[in-house]
This record gives sequence, C-alpha cells and structure tokens, in this order.
Amino acid sequence: MEELLDGLYTAVLNGDASGAVENVTAALNAGAAPEAILQESMIPAMMEVGRLFELGEAFVPEMLIAARAMQSGLQILRPHLIAADVEPVGKVVLGTVSGDMHDIGKNLVGMMLEGAGYATVDLGVNVSPQAFVDAVEKEGDVDLVCMSALLTTTMPQMRATIDAFKHAEIYDDVKIMVGGAPVTPEFAEAIGAHGSADDAGQAVKVAQRLTGLAA
Amino acid sequence: MSSQTQERWSVEIAGMPHFDQAMDRIYAWFEGEIIDRPPVRFSAHNAFVEQQKGHLAGMNAEERKALWFDVEYQLDMFERSIEGRVWHGETFPVFSPNLGPDVYAAFYAGDLIFGEVTSWIAPALKDWDDMDALRLDMDNVYFRKIDELTMQALERCPGKYLVGYTDLHPGLDCCVGWRGPQQFCLDMYDSPENVHRLADLAISGFETVYDHYDDILKAHGQLSVNWMGIPTFGRMHVPSCDFSSLISPAMFEEFGLPILQREVKTMTHNIFHIDGKGVARHRDAILSVPEVHAIQWVQGMGHDLPIMQWVPLIKEIQARAPIIIDLNKAELDDFMEAMEPEGVFLWIATESEEEELELLDRIAKW
Ligand code: B1M
Repeated sequence: MEELLDGLYTAVLNGDASGAVENVTAALNAGAAPEAILQESMIPAMMEVGRLFELGEAFVPEMLIAARAMQSGLQILRPHLIAADVEPVGKVVLGTVSGDMHDIGKNLVGMMLEGAGYATVDLGVNVSPQAFVDAVEKEGDVDLVCMSALLTTTMPQMRATIDAFKHAEIYDDVKIMVGGAPVTPEFAEAIGAHGSADDAGQAVKVAQRLTGLAA
Repeated sequence: MSSQTQERWSVEIAGMPHFDQAMDRIYAWFEGEIIDRPPVRFSAHNAFVEQQKGHLAGMNAEERKALWFDVEYQLDMFERSIEGRVWHGETFPVFSPNLGPDVYAAFYAGDLIFGEVTSWIAPALKDWDDMDALRLDMDNVYFRKIDELTMQALERCPGKYLVGYTDLHPGLDCCVGWRGPQQFCLDMYDSPENVHRLADLAISGFETVYDHYDDILKAHGQLSVNWMGIPTFGRMHVPSCDFSSLISPAMFEEFGLPILQREVKTMTHNIFHIDGKGVARHRDAILSVPEVHAIQWVQGMGHDLPIMQWVPLIKEIQARAPIIIDLNKAELDDFMEAMEPEGVFLWIATESEEEELELLDRIAKW
C-alpha cells in the first residue's frame, strides 16, 4: 500500500496525470481509505510543489502540471470521499478583481488550496465587488475570500470589495486574503484584509492560519 | 559594420539643438564609455496625456478601438503632448506607431483587444492542427494600420520629432499571444515539438517585417528607433521575453534562447528588455548571446520597489553589458553613491524643465 501511495505522491509531484489516475485507482482497489489517499499522498505532493515553487526550484509549468495531475486523481477519488463523508477543511471563494484579467496566479492559489483540502468556488476574472458579495451570500458557509490583482490600477478594487462586504454586513463573517505581484502586507492591512501571501505555497499557510487550521 | 564606423547624419528637432552630442553620448554608452556624463532620458509628467487616458476610460471596447485606429487623432495627440517642449539629456521626441505589444502576433492571426493605454490579443490557435494556417499577412488590418500611422507620421514629423518602428515581439511572447500563457506553459510539457515549430513560425517573419519598417524609415532620413527612444544609425532592436518569467532556466534555454539568437542576428544594437526578477533569472543565457549589446532593467511593483535592493544585480549586469536603469529621482543620490557610472543609462521621471537641468548637473558630477 505504501508503495502505491508513494507512487501517487511522485505522480502528482511530477505532473503525471495518468500515473495519478492509475495509482489512485490501484490504491482504492487495494482498500486504502479515500481520506488517507488524499491526506497522506496527494496533499503532501501539492505542498511539496508549493515549497519548491517558493524556493525557485519549480516554476509555473511545473505547478500547472502537478495541479492537473492532482485534479485527474481527484476525479476518481471525489465520489469515494463523498461516500466516506470526508468533509473539506473549509470553503473558499476566490476571484480576480474587477478590471483585471490575470488569472494564472489566482488559478495556482485555487489549485493549491484544493490540494490542501479546501472546497473552492472560483468566480473567475474581472469579478465585481457585488459579485464577491453575492457569491458569499449564496454559498452561505464560506470561510475565506481570496482576491487576486496583478495591476496597480486594479488594486483599489480590493478595497472596494472589502467596503462592499462591510456595506453588506458580511465582513465579520469571513476572512479575507489578498495577493498578486503588486500587493504588499502593508497594502493588505491598510484596506482591511486579514492576510496576504506572496505566492501560492504561502497562500495555503495563510489560509490555514486564517481558518484556524494552523497557528 | 562596427557601431562606431556607421554612417551618421544629423536630424533637426525643435527644442533639441544638441542632437549630435546626445547621439555621441549614446554611442559611447554602447561601448561602456562616458564622454562627459552618462546618458539620461527624462519622462516628463504630462497633464494632457493623463487627461486623455481618462477620456478612454469611459469608452466601450469598440469605441476604444476606433480611437486607437484613428491616425489623425493619434498623431494630433502625440504632437500636442510634445508641443513647446525642450528636450534635455538624451530624451528624444519619438512617435512610434503603436497598437500594443501583441501586434506582431496579430500580423499572423488573432484579434487585438484595446484597453486605455495598451492592448492584448485573444489567443487564436486553439488546435495544433491549425498551426499550418498561421501566416504572416502583410496585408492584414493591423499591418496596414501600422503602415498608415508610419507614413502619416513621416509626413508630419520634419523638424519636430523622430518616427520609430512599432513594438515587435517575435519570440516566445508571440507564441503566448497565439496560445495564451497558461496553455503555453502546459504545451511546454505536453507538446514540446509543437512549441519548437510554433516558435520557429513566430520568428520566421521577423526579418521581413523589420526590414519593411527599417527601409521606410531610412528612406526618409530617419534613424532606427522604437518605443524605447534610444536611436541609432544602424539597426536597433529591443528583444524581450516577458513569458520567461514563468519558466525555468532550462526551459528558457531550450525554447527561448534559440529564438533570441535568431532575433538579434541582423541588428547592430540590441537592448534586451528584462522585465523584473523573473526574467532576470535567465540573464546568463541572455548575456551569452554576443549580439545582446545592452540590457534594460525594469523592477516590478510592490515588494520589488525601491531600486536600491537591486544594486547587486545591477552591478553584476553592469560588469557584463551597458544597462538602463529606471529610477525615482528621490533614489538618485543613493544610487550614484552605490554605483560606478560606466555603462549606466538613467531614466528618470520629472515634473519640470528646471528639475531636469538640475538633475543633469548632479549626474555630471557622478
Ligand atoms: C488571495 O490570496 C492570494 C495570494 C497570493 C496570490 C494571489 C492571491 N494571487 C496571486 N498570488 C501569488 O501567488 C501566485 C503564484 O505564486 C503569484 O501570482 P502571479 O500572478 O503574480 O504570478 C503568476 C503565477 C505568473 N505571472 C503571471 O501570470 C503574469 C505574467 C505577466 C507576463 C502577464 C501576463 C501573462 C498577461 N498580461 Co499582463 N502580465 C504581466 C506579467 C509580467 C510578469 N513578468 O509578471 C503584467 C502583470 N501585466 C501587465 C499589464 C500592464 C497588462 N497585462 C495585460 C494582459 C495580460 C495577458 C492577457 C496577456 C496575460 C494574462 C493571461 C492570464 N490569463 O492571466 C493587460 C491588462 C489586461 C487586464 N485588464 O487585466 C495589460 C494592461 C497590458 C499588457 N499588454 O501588458 C503589467 C502590470 C503592471 C502593473 N504593475 O500594473 C505586468 C507586470 C507586465 C509589465 N511588466 O508591464 C503571486 O502573486
């Protein structure tokens, strides 16, 4: 069994989608608990990819193929997780703010959060403040809102979105994380965000802190 | 031909009586030498230009495209923005016909989406099977518009400004325009042979396009210059690869470097535009190309400001090639204190002519 889980870890880490599918299938057939497959193999693999990215030893293509392998494996695993009543560790709404079409960074953050066991609702790009508010109200049980911006000209939309949350009186119900190349912790604090992260690996750590999964 | 032995000529420009000295300083800079001070280019705050940007902000995409395509309007706006200006240092008034950085990709295929200050392309190559249909089309709507902008500008420029050629990105950034950046990242793993074929296609039309503009400009007594505003009498070009900020050095060497080597080959002056630390990761490969004569370093925003944190990197590049640095005037003294002036070309944003003269004085003492 350990061999299968190691194989799955390696497949996700190397972005080998068919290898991930084969190993998930084999592990399930061998009687592995769906949660163990996720927690002991797939999540650690994505965390390792995030760590290598932070260190500058993996780059965007490597992150993307690893996330794709993870998704392929998850497609097989998901029905088993549901059947076994395995709950996500939290729910995240994420999007790129109004006027901004950059989504590679946001997608990586989303993939890493999924890789860390969160359920994500991706609103896409060019998301208006109201659309963020509507999504949180519609979903109901959102723990974390993630906003991404790559342009200095769209950063003010982060503040506008936070103001919209205050106006809709849901600001105190969720945690808000912001990120993207021009975003600094000082900016995040100034606009009332609860946290910020420089890259997708760090985003998972900040998310875990904000949702009470880590100190 | 060595850059020092190139034929030179003078161009009359109102407000720039020192054109010849400015050119001498630029040529000295390319050689890593200094005549009296390092070259300096000022970008003056322009209330008129700011106001025009605001004007476009309220428009829909079609209205914006109409203005980008309005040759009279583009030239009127440019001429109003330089009206009455006195050009200090190595600041040249240059009109570069501009439809955004993806125009070269759009010469083959794809629609440009026009924003307020720039444009980008909608990826046109969804299926590798369609690659064979991608062709340089010198009769396409974007090519004809750039020609029109160039020809009209040449009619109107004498005595007032230089005309440049449009911003050309024939390397991996062109492929990204056709495939989209995220998809192109995946392509590098999924289909490396197609990535090579696509890159080959992207670069294949470059010399033809470059020569087309170079011939027109030279026939009108112009220099070789583009958006960067650093003219030469030969063939100047600004190679770049913003996409490389997303990939590993190994991938850049495999896919980007061979294209760069072809892109710079027929030029006399190549200034590689390094856009941030992600691209700087590939500096060894970039500087391994002998025809890369100089580097422009651009730091990013947020954590990547201010300039002083980059001094070690700048020194490292300066030891190998002349380098352009864009800095805030408040950073100038610290920067001059930390750096030797050889091989440095400064770009500084200013508010007034007095300020420019004062900065030139200060830089002359460096
Ligand atoms: C919620 O919590 C979090 C936490 C962490 C978070 C987070 C959220 N979000 C991100 N992170 C963090 O984690 C991620 C992974 O580690 C990181 O995400 P990043 O997004 O930073 O990093 C990604 C993994 C990789 N980085 C990227 O994907 C951005 C790369 C560059 C090359 C870039 C690209 C690819 C594009 N662009 Co644009 N683009 C540039 C970029 C230049 C560069 N070298 O960075 C940049 C960002 N672009 C810029 C510009 C000006 C523009 N772009 C535009 C368009 C585009 C493309 C469509 C061509 C394409 C985007 C495609 C897409 N689907 O995303 C235009 C605007 C369109 C619009 N309205 O949004 C246009 C206006 C025009 C143009 N032609 O350049 C510049 C912004 C300047 C500024 N500071 O304002 C720019 C720096 C290029 C430059 N040097 O001029 C972290 O920031």
